[in-house]
Amino acid sequence: MKFNYIKTVALAAIATAFISCSSDDDATGEVIGDTYGDVEFYFDNGAAGNSLILGVPFTNSMDEALTVNKLNYIVSNFVLIDADGNEVVYPKEESYFITNQQDEVKTVHLENVPAGDYKAVRFGIGVDEQRYLQGETAQQSFWDLAAANDLTWTWSTGYRFVVFEGTFTSPENAEPLLFKVHQGSNTETDNYREVTLTLPTTARVREGETPSIHLITDVNKLLDGETKISLHDNLNQAGTAAAIMGGENLIKIADNSTEMFTVDHVHNGAGHHHE
Amino acid sequence: MIGLLALSFISCNKDDGYEAVVNERLDFVVPANFPAPAQDIEHNYPTQKGFELGRKLFYDTRLSANNTISCSFCHEQENAFTHHGHTFSHGIYDQEGTRNAPAVQNMAFQSQYFYDGASDAIDMLSIAPIHNPVEMDETLENIAVKLKQDKEYVKLFNQAFEGGQITSGNILKALGQFMTMMVSANSKYDKFVRSEPPGNNFNQKEMQGLELFRQKCASCHATDIFTDSSFRNNGLPPNPNLNDLGRETVTGFKRDRYKFKVPSLRNVELTAPYMHDGRFGSLESVLNFYRNGMTDSETLDEQLRAEDGTLGIPLTDEEKEALIAFLKTLTDEEYINNPLFYYQT
Repeated sequence: MKFNYIKTVALAAIATAFISCSSDDDATGEVIGDTYGDVEFYFDNGAAGNSLILGVPFTNSMDEALTVNKLNYIVSNFVLIDADGNEVVYPKEESYFITNQQDEVKTVHLENVPAGDYKAVRFGIGVDEQRYLQGETAQQSFWDLAAANDLTWTWSTGYRFVVFEGTFTSPENAEPLLFKVHQGSNTETDNYREVTLTLPTTARVREGETPSIHLITDVNKLLDGETKISLHDNLNQAGTAAAIMGGENLIKIADNSTEMFTVDHVHNGAGHHHE
Repeated sequence: MIGLLALSFISCNKDDGYEAVVNERLDFVVPANFPAPAQDIEHNYPTQKGFELGRKLFYDTRLSANNTISCSFCHEQENAFTHHGHTFSHGIYDQEGTRNAPAVQNMAFQSQYFYDGASDAIDMLSIAPIHNPVEMDETLENIAVKLKQDKEYVKLFNQAFEGGQITSGNILKALGQFMTMMVSANSKYDKFVRSEPPGNNFNQKEMQGLELFRQKCASCHATDIFTDSSFRNNGLPPNPNLNDLGRETVTGFKRDRYKFKVPSLRNVELTAPYMHDGRFGSLESVLNFYRNGMTDSETLDEQLRAEDGTLGIPLTDEEKEALIAFLKTLTDEEYINNPLFYYQT
């Protein structure tokens, strides 16, 4: 089974969960040990406090109005953490996922997660260094999936972590100009980042119960987080478009991207909650 | 769990109809005078079937959009897998690129690939030439579609990757395994440093060249891989028609302008023309350039600037001759004639 190589961690987590349950929750009569359930992550894209709607502008703190036409990104290496800090690491070779705003691909579905009560989650934005091919399994070619979602780089070899494109206006340009932000690592800078998020309520994983963790992704943070990156300042020499695909900006965007995610709420219980 | 495994095992045997083949791990040997591999080869360790599949792919023109260009088109074994006599290679539709085809050898011992380091993983580097519109102009996904129509490939992928399918990832892995095994370590120089028969085989000129090399060249062309896999501006005057920014293209940092990867010098006698843009036709021209052809710029490698501010590596004619004699001891006839790296249809 897929959990073999993290079994020790998983068992430890199960054992702890089991012990704490049996003392507190005897009345429920739940069986946790050696049972598994699923977990869903729902990535709900927003922009500066509102929903992200492709084709509809939002204004950032630099007074630039961005109209997003495309937002796809890779999330990976999911970890569930219980109250005692025990970590359940989802099998790495199956832990790469894509979200696509246009196609409404927003859900990450983890299967066969040890039953337990999870208090926090950790995941990565992009693909970690030297692990490019680990999303390749007998069932799925991650490269093909990424390529189909415009999330590969082929002139330099690897994955785009975030593709964020559209048009913008600014105090300096009233006419909309194209922008393209392609975030990723290159052979000089590792721009993969991880975030750890505490859950506002426990995610209960049980056989037949699939908690759904509802995240809000504020895409505005990519350029308008701790570090401010003005699109107008990044116009090409001809002044016709802004393309951010390398250099210092990628490091800044990587750090900004860790501010992008918040867990809004958690649904517990049976069945699917989104889609 | 065991029941499931057993079931799937049985069904595999029944459905696929392939004979059980033993796919042995190959014996990847680090030559005694080499540093440790720079790539984690355990991640995609070469097997007999994976290697053979990678070799078949390397020689297959279906890796290009119109099925005319294989990897081997620009990487010919007899020239240490470079494109002899071509400043720039002709790619698909007879287009020309802007860089000289680099040698394919000792790849597992290098941490960066291409003149600008567009890749740092042996299992990923094939993406660049395959997708480059002036080289092969193809996509991995479409190569997989084409190869799936060939029953032989369906079988070979299945054998190489334990029931594996023809996927982008497995195409890259097979090519990676082939390149991992492409080790050139049996030149006259190697036998000399390893004190292998026929014993001390260097003549006086080659000895002098080796000593000069160690003094004047080995800080960049380091170790017996003859590169430190770094990027440096060696003072080559930029060609205004190309304006190739080198490493900056990948990193986006101005500090990397005009820096190119230090190439290995193995088989250098066979890999003319030289430099990233193939501007020099002979080793003598290369050494003339290092002696007095450099252009100063902000990113020029400091090692090339003398204390008095002059640029270059001082060399007499006699020293030049000795260096060239030494460089020719890096030619590895066994490598360029090794039938393991040649695909016979």
